[in-house]
Amino acid sequence: MGSTKILVVDDELIMRESLAGWLYRDGYDVKTVGSGEEALERLKGTRFDILLVDIKMEGISGLDLLRQVKEDDPDVAVVMITAYGSISTAIEAMKNGAFDYLLKPFDPEALGVVIDKIIEHQDQARENIFLREQFKDRTRFESMIGQSKAMQEVFDLIQDVAPTGSTVLITGETGTGKGLAAKAIHTNSPRCEGPFVQVNCGAIPEHLMESELFGHQKGAFTDAKETKKGRLELAHDGTLLLDEIGEIGMRMQIDLLRVLEDGVFYRVGGTQPIEVDFRVIASTNRNLEEAIKEGIFREDLYYRLNVISFQMPSLRERKEDIPLVAEHFLLRFSQETNKPVDQISREAIDEMMLYEWPGNVRELENALERAVVVCKGRKILPEDLPIFRPEYLALPNGNSLKRVETEHITKILNINQWNIAKSAKVLGVDRSTLYNKIKRYQIPKPT
Amino acid sequence: MIVPPPHSIAISPVGASDTELLIQVGKEISRIFGYQTEIIPLLKDVDFALDPSRNQYHSTLILGELASLAPHAIKVVAIVQVDLFIPILTHIFGEAQLGGKACIISIYRLREGLSSLSNPEFYHKRVVKEAIHELGHTFRLRHCRDQSCIMHYCRTVKDVDRRSDQFCRYCKVLLEDEMKRLNRNWGSRNPAI
Repeated sequence: MGSTKILVVDDELIMRESLAGWLYRDGYDVKTVGSGEEALERLKGTRFDILLVDIKMEGISGLDLLRQVKEDDPDVAVVMITAYGSISTAIEAMKNGAFDYLLKPFDPEALGVVIDKIIEHQDQARENIFLREQFKDRTRFESMIGQSKAMQEVFDLIQDVAPTGSTVLITGETGTGKGLAAKAIHTNSPRCEGPFVQVNCGAIPEHLMESELFGHQKGAFTDAKETKKGRLELAHDGTLLLDEIGEIGMRMQIDLLRVLEDGVFYRVGGTQPIEVDFRVIASTNRNLEEAIKEGIFREDLYYRLNVISFQMPSLRERKEDIPLVAEHFLLRFSQETNKPVDQISREAIDEMMLYEWPGNVRELENALERAVVVCKGRKILPEDLPIFRPEYLALPNGNSLKRVETEHITKILNINQWNIAKSAKVLGVDRSTLYNKIKRYQIPKPT
Repeated sequence: MIVPPPHSIAISPVGASDTELLIQVGKEISRIFGYQTEIIPLLKDVDFALDPSRNQYHSTLILGELASLAPHAIKVVAIVQVDLFIPILTHIFGEAQLGGKACIISIYRLREGLSSLSNPEFYHKRVVKEAIHELGHTFRLRHCRDQSCIMHYCRTVKDVDRRSDQFCRYCKVLLEDEMKRLNRNWGSRNPAI
């Protein structure tokens, strides 16, 4: 409280002194000035958190002062003080970035409320900056790993989305870590103490889905020997992940939509309505908009789910993360298999960087698991990797170095859509070397 | 003019006063601050502070007057019936000279929500709490974040009801520090709080 610095700007001595005295007793660090000019002078040397500015002043008006202050430091909260006659100016001030305005004389409660609101707002902003700074150097977030820009953006997004409680739709190719992202949202949300319930909509046959989601009453159907709670009921107070939502059948889409809208459902064979409160996260590798056009996904359900959405980047879009992710899996599998494999050879890393990883992180995970198992020494070699293509090393006789190099450079350029910087990085050369080789080998750019 | 005894806290009612209430305020102030209390009407009225346009009394003017009337008292708290204001605010429950000698409370708004049939104890508690709070300011205490502390700022009478009549442990330490400093200057005993 004491650290909040407030500057009172009012040309009426009695007003600014009574306000400053009140705020000082309230624990704030308060300074006063009698004009806009003095305020600007004072602001050159000291940063204030809050400015309380009288609108009507000789010289620089309150409104002009507001504009100048916000231009120099948009984070300063400015509260305009106004008399009854100048409310329209106060409203104009709000449009120009004033936090609020107070009609003088103001109720002590109103003053307290405004100042508390500003402090809460500024604390929140500082906390967000602090968290962002923390994440800048982060290579991990919950179970996700990545130092690439693409993954840092995902971490930031999760951090922003988690506390909101909004429904989230996560898209991305298979194996990109959509489930891990959903878990990270749950863990960082106010519902983290509640359950995290996952339903793989693609894996459960449609005829079992209803009972799986909504549960059933004893005797509802032949095999219903006991009353069973469904996944929706189990997710109460927590988070429900509807994985591979694009695979869910039309009938179930209708039922699901009703639950999402009403928060109420019935068990199969049940007559008692069950109220549930959970956050929904849906994930899919399908293009749902295309699915809507094809008539296999309901548009209303899509909009219900697509409140906040983001896409998990594929591994080939963040190749710089491959060594880091590979090291992580190496450590995990060497511990699990109890094998003293603790290194990945430079050549094996190069192979991994050249490969496109259509199965994304999950494929890399499987590749490392296999590599650790088959590895004969302490170091993973290219031949330990299932992605290893011997033709690169055992080229048929008669292939010149020029031909091998030309083919390899062409392949990398094509993979990276002829982005020279990216291709040079993958090839481990600088851009000028790559340009020289393209020119020397006369590699044609596809039109 | 009646002069309060040295090293005491003067309780100065203005206008018609409820003796039972004043005695209770004095007793509680004595218990909390450890100083002897004296009930002394130092001001006949506060008409000099009336702002006719607002029909309210400017508390800062009254404080200035009050401080000069009680040179021997360690602190003075005035209890008035009229509605108080400071120019920037619509009304106040009380005002104090931070680290100074005088403070004032108004009972005008402290009856809010209470009928004449209500238990007077309830109303007396509000007055006592406000008097202790304002006196706390004269001992250099500022508003406290702890909602249960007597130095927490109350926006409404409901907040006053919810607030305790005790200092939190931090304010207690700060109060003790200030009392030690005052007693060194006055060459007096260190009162317990």
